[in-house]
Amino acid sequence: MQLTPDETTVFTLWGLGINETVVNTWIVMAMLTVASMLVTRKLRPDVPPNRWRTTLEVIVTGIQRQVEDISPQSSRHVLYFSGTLFLFIALSNLLLVVPGFTPPTSSLSTTAALALSVLIAVPLFGISRQGIGGYLKTYIQPSIIMLPFNIISEFSRGISLAIRLYGNVMSGAVIAGILLGVAPFFFPVVMDVLGLLTGLIQAYIFAILATVYISSATAPVHKPVKTPGHEPERGRDHHKEQDR
Amino acid sequence: MSIDWVTVLAQIANFLVLVWLLKRFLYKPILKGIDSREAEIAARMSEATRAKEKAAAAEADFVARQQKLQADQDALAERVREQAKQQRDALLAEAHEKMEQERQDTQVHLARERERFTSELYKASAETLYQLAGRALHDLADERLEEHIALHVIGKLDPLSDELASAAEHAEEAVATTHAALPEGARHEVEAALEQRVPGLPLRFATDDSQSPGLVLRIGSLQLAWTVDSYTDELVELLEERLASGESGRVNAHGG
Repeated sequence: MQLTPDETTVFTLWGLGINETVVNTWIVMAMLTVASMLVTRKLRPDVPPNRWRTTLEVIVTGIQRQVEDISPQSSRHVLYFSGTLFLFIALSNLLLVVPGFTPPTSSLSTTAALALSVLIAVPLFGISRQGIGGYLKTYIQPSIIMLPFNIISEFSRGISLAIRLYGNVMSGAVIAGILLGVAPFFFPVVMDVLGLLTGLIQAYIFAILATVYISSATAPVHKPVKTPGHEPERGRDHHKEQDR
Repeated sequence: MSIDWVTVLAQIANFLVLVWLLKRFLYKPILKGIDSREAEIAARMSEATRAKEKAAAAEADFVARQQKLQADQDALAERVREQAKQQRDALLAEAHEKMEQERQDTQVHLARERERFTSELYKASAETLYQLAGRALHDLADERLEEHIALHVIGKLDPLSDELASAAEHAEEAVATTHAALPEGARHEVEAALEQRVPGLPLRFATDDSQSPGLVLRIGSLQLAWTVDSYTDELVELLEERLASGESGRVNAHGG
């Protein structure tokens, strides 16, 4: 059984093998970009919004509201980053129901790339917000003894993000493949429906956690940070990661 | 399960490209549209608020004007009522004054009428009395009344000799006025009697139709009269009493 689409090379470009993960990622990117272009190309104040534009407005404003709930002082760059994470992961996971399409999020390389992106984005947002000195001070809070633990926590976040997303998506695909062999006409349908639900939930969790990490890096030290459905917590090391 | 680091780098690049693409074609246009729509809504709300405030101000102004107009109307009505009352009082006072004036005029007119009537009555009574007395005296005793009056005057001059002499000092003549001309004999007797008491004073005889029958002698400022006026007065008073009693009787008869 093939557990990752990284091993499938679709074509070779300039001597470099392009695997299925990258190709499927391009497909997802193309779908998102083309859909956005088609909906927003006639976006003028004098043209009343149609159903597609309204749908996109609902999605974008929903993401914006979630980001603002977590970090009221966040800029729109956080929206661009976290929103893209959510849309990419959600569409990738939804395409699980397409026969023959392997979601790029079922590749550990993709989830690792997304986790690395978050890992890199968090200090960048923090530095842009507080400056280098202000951001680095957060690593020695509440005392310098906590420095190694904070560094370990920072990297463990990215690893947990990557493993969680990969495990959830890949396990769904593996379970669907196994059940397809056991009961080929019933379980795959149920698993696909369940996969759609868990795919959306994972996309939401990934984007929300990324936003929480970014907001904790951009928020002043010891300032309460809200998480959805939880009471405000203090400090950058006390965020509970929501596991499945 | 392994990580292909080339794929990881490619996916990072893909993700960054996707962030840029969605920012370019999704987030910015959508958010720009939402912002412009919210700005338009805010502008409309602001405009509506201004219109509402303007309408409220216009309403307040209208209410104030209406109240002022009502107050002006009330004041005008009150002023008109006051003027009407004053005009009515003035008209009533003028009417009362006019009525009083007319009443006084009527009373004056009645008094004049009464006076004229009394005068005529007096005159007619005197004439009647004089004619009746004269006729009775002539028919019964073949005497003339005026001659006897003249003779009687001569008899009355004795107690007045001093007054006559005093009056004659400042008089140029004496005038004896009668209703009708005196007979020649009576004139001589009067002249003789006056010459005896006031010597040298000329006597002139005159007649006056308006005078009561009798004789009036004037010497300067002195005037002596023997006429039937006193009898006429008694007759008039008697007639008035009778008339008054007769009128009262009629009133009592009608009222009773």
